[in-house]
Amino acid sequence: MSETFSALMSGFGVALQPLNLLWGFIGVTLGTAIGVLPGVGPALTVAMLLPLTVKLDPTAALIMFAGIYYGAMYGGSTTTILLNTPGESASIATALEGNKMAKRGRAGPALATAAIGSFVAGTIATLLLTVLAPVVVDIALKFGPAEYFALMIFAFVTVAAVLGSSTVRGLTMLFLGLLFGLVGIDDQTGQMRFAFGVPELLDGIDVVVLAVGLFAVGEALYVAAYQSRQVETVEQVRGSLLMSREDWKRSWPAWLRATGIGFPFGTIPAGGAEIPTFLSYALEKKLSKYPEEFGQGAIEGVAGPEAANNAASAGVLVPLLTLGIPTSATAAILLAAFQNYGLQPGPLLFQTQATLVWGLIASMYVGNVLLLVLNLPLIGLWVKVLSIPKPLLYAGILVFATLGAYSLHQSVVDLLALYVFGLLGFLMRRWGFPVAPAVIGLILGPLAESQFRKALAISQGDPTVFLTQPISAALLAVTAALVLLPWIIKLRRRRA
Amino acid sequence: MARGKSGARAELVISVGVLLLGVGATVVAWSLPEAGGYARVGPNVVPKIVSAGLILLGIWLLAETLTGGYRSRVPDDPAERGEHPFLASAFFWISAGLVAQMALIGNAGFVIAGGVLFACVARGFGSTRWLRDSVSGLALALLVFLFFVRFLNVNLPAGWLKPILGAAGI
Repeated sequence: MSETFSALMSGFGVALQPLNLLWGFIGVTLGTAIGVLPGVGPALTVAMLLPLTVKLDPTAALIMFAGIYYGAMYGGSTTTILLNTPGESASIATALEGNKMAKRGRAGPALATAAIGSFVAGTIATLLLTVLAPVVVDIALKFGPAEYFALMIFAFVTVAAVLGSSTVRGLTMLFLGLLFGLVGIDDQTGQMRFAFGVPELLDGIDVVVLAVGLFAVGEALYVAAYQSRQVETVEQVRGSLLMSREDWKRSWPAWLRATGIGFPFGTIPAGGAEIPTFLSYALEKKLSKYPEEFGQGAIEGVAGPEAANNAASAGVLVPLLTLGIPTSATAAILLAAFQNYGLQPGPLLFQTQATLVWGLIASMYVGNVLLLVLNLPLIGLWVKVLSIPKPLLYAGILVFATLGAYSLHQSVVDLLALYVFGLLGFLMRRWGFPVAPAVIGLILGPLAESQFRKALAISQGDPTVFLTQPISAALLAVTAALVLLPWIIKLRRRRA
Repeated sequence: MARGKSGARAELVISVGVLLLGVGATVVAWSLPEAGGYARVGPNVVPKIVSAGLILLGIWLLAETLTGGYRSRVPDDPAERGEHPFLASAFFWISAGLVAQMALIGNAGFVIAGGVLFACVARGFGSTRWLRDSVSGLALALLVFLFFVRFLNVNLPAGWLKPILGAAGI
């Protein structure tokens, strides 16, 4: 424990250096500004801004990224409250009550409880991350390739098959992502695979191009071609931003309970923040002394889901930093940010790059404070960003999207790939195929393959190694149970 | 959730598409060398598994298509999704903007290509104010260009604007 404390303190030494503080500040500001844009979620924000960091040193870049990650979520909650069309699934729960509050002239307290709640949940969750990470690292150091492989299979299956509306569509996207991940030169043998002699494909498909193509280009094509019937209205922020004594009394317990729900959900591969926000909403509705206010603008209904969202987002960083396993699309893109610097998150990173890791964790505490200080006073500015007309908004998004893809290699091929992935994203959106499994498959697939081959090299080609190692066998058994149980239950119900 | 005729056809195309992708990937995977060494796991093993998976998933999707359609599918009627009918011109303008940018970026440079893209996308979203859109697009692209080139040291093509930007010391 004292070791963790001193590591964290040296981390603060890094995070509070003026230049790193500046990068953190730039990160949270950019993250908030882009996250506020309707239709731009955290995953797209992080993907579009990834090329910004090419020339920065890794510590500064990752500190900036942590800022963008948190900032995008703060920005997203502002949009959710002030606009009647929620941007992403994790903020639907907030939208239920937040927009109603804004309509009734209580936009100020709604934004305040979201911001302060995010700060409280984010800080507690970062504290939990600080305490938990070294423990997981100790366990993970004992993992061999077989255990890692089983863990990755577990992550694949939960993200693709268990969550979402259709198992087969989730798995199809996962396998498509895995296929994309195979393109390029095989690390271990130098063999060219699925590149068909195209030089631009030898390095593989870049996660920025895939994610930005699916999220930005695909989204723009879809939103323009199938225009929503719902007329967007931006609520004005009237009156005081301050919460009354009553608001505080009702928000506090919701924040804390939501942190308790959100953080554990973030740490397991359960698709990030969507489920815990709904759980928190349901719980607050049940526990509230004013259940009749739910649906009309109950402050607990904003406080809870927003805090759960932030706590889950911090929780996602536990498997990402300690095991190198991304459990959401955003985390997969963060992993790509590490890989751009030749860094592989995982237990070894805590040993070889202790300053960087702890500097990053410390910067999250700092980022949360910066966001709290920045967000509420600048609310007038964010409202202006929200009222940008749609044509200009999406035109701007696509300029940034193409910039991100083009600046990777200064190659038109990346722009072409971006458009092709955009068309794919359009089709996926129209036919209900999820995006996250494809992004996770692309980034985690090559890592899983490498662990798979290492495990078999150690066992001299004996494939039963995954079932004879206890941890690996247990993980695979849980995975199988997750897939099969719903089927068995369905079959038994039909018989009964 | 009723499935229209065009919906059924599209599902069939998607399912067969996944199946064919799997078949194609299988052909490529089997043409990869063994070269497994002592572990007997060469660069061809995982490609074989992934492409076999795609074939199975294609069959699974096809089975759903032929037995009443995708489960928990997205409604075919845009009104049911709270949307307007498909607007081909919007799709066209955004595509045109992206293609124009690809064609222009090498010669005309990032700023001009970005401005054209911006104007086309704005047109796709129903804006008719060409002048405003072009000017704001060029201004945004110029700002981004300056920020990237000056502040982040990322290389972007100046293109036709090179003499002007060069004269301004950029």
